[in-house]
Amino acid sequence: MKYSYITPRPKSAFTAEIQLLVTFFSITLGMLFITYFFLLFKDYTFLSDMDELAVVQSELSVNIKEMKEQITFIEKENLLAQKVYTQNTVLKDSIANLFDLVPQRITLSEAKLLENGLVLYGVTPNKDIYNFMLQAPLRSIFHRTYSSFYPAQNGWLRFVSTNYIDEEINLSQEIESEN
Amino acid sequence: MKINISRQHIYLLSILTFFLIFVLLFSFALLIPKGKEYRENRIEFKKEAKELRKYQNFHNEVEEKLKKLQGENRRVMTAFDATFDPYRFQKQHRNYFSTLTISELSEVSDDDEFIAYEVNTTSEISSPKSFYEFLDAVNKSDWIISVEFPINFKREGEMIKSSFTMKVFYADNDSNRTKPSVNEVAE
Repeated sequence: MKYSYITPRPKSAFTAEIQLLVTFFSITLGMLFITYFFLLFKDYTFLSDMDELAVVQSELSVNIKEMKEQITFIEKENLLAQKVYTQNTVLKDSIANLFDLVPQRITLSEAKLLENGLVLYGVTPNKDIYNFMLQAPLRSIFHRTYSSFYPAQNGWLRFVSTNYIDEEINLSQEIESEN
Repeated sequence: MKINISRQHIYLLSILTFFLIFVLLFSFALLIPKGKEYRENRIEFKKEAKELRKYQNFHNEVEEKLKKLQGENRRVMTAFDATFDPYRFQKQHRNYFSTLTISELSEVSDDDEFIAYEVNTTSEISSPKSFYEFLDAVNKSDWIISVEFPINFKREGEMIKSSFTMKVFYADNDSNRTKPSVNEVAE
């Protein structure tokens, strides 16, 4: 027995309103999840980039340290080389001055240049020439000067002149000049 | 007054409320803190990158200074690293002497950076001028050499016999650098 002439519509829980609601929230949630995963990914890349930066920075730091050490060492090398070159030049001038100091009439047979002294062996026609022409300039350079004479076969005199610079006086002079 | 809400609407309202609560919870509990963390990390990263750029610039400056120094002091550096070769030394400087004899090399001092070796030299020169020229040439030689006291000059006929000590300096910057051995030295 029929009570209605129309065929009943199939009823579903997903009505048009619910479908609209689900679509809207799906899109919203999708965007939220995408944003969240984007942030997660960016955080991960930031952290890995930061680690990389730290590694690069530490490599740079090591490089800088090594280069600074090299710079210091080259400067020390240069300083020592200049000191050696100056020392050689000063030595050359000192020897040249020494030989210029000896007058024509006095003949040197041996010269010993010491760190703080000078020993000269030679022959002189007489003591006066030695005293005035060699000993006087030597006295002005050295703090202590000793001379001894021995007669030579040709009537001239052999002499040994020993001259020293006192190191203590040297040091004090250096300190004074530094001050 | 009777409110007539259909079952359909109750479902709708329930789902809406559930979704809203979920979205709000998700946003406040996860998304917003993560966003804040992202912003902080980005600022930190930019700061670090800026620091690194500064450091890189400093590194470049130091590197440039080092290269400049190396360029300017190439000869001195090579001289400090060169092993003293007495044969070559004799060959280079025999013009200044009639005879030149070099003794064995002996180590005299070794600080952390430089090693000094001493070598005794006897020679014959015709005039002091040769010795001055030799001292000039020593400063231009392949090694760092200082002529040390005592220096003896002795007249022997027409010649002057000279004997002196030379100090040869080596850089001790490389522990693998070959140090001169006694066998290498001329008698």
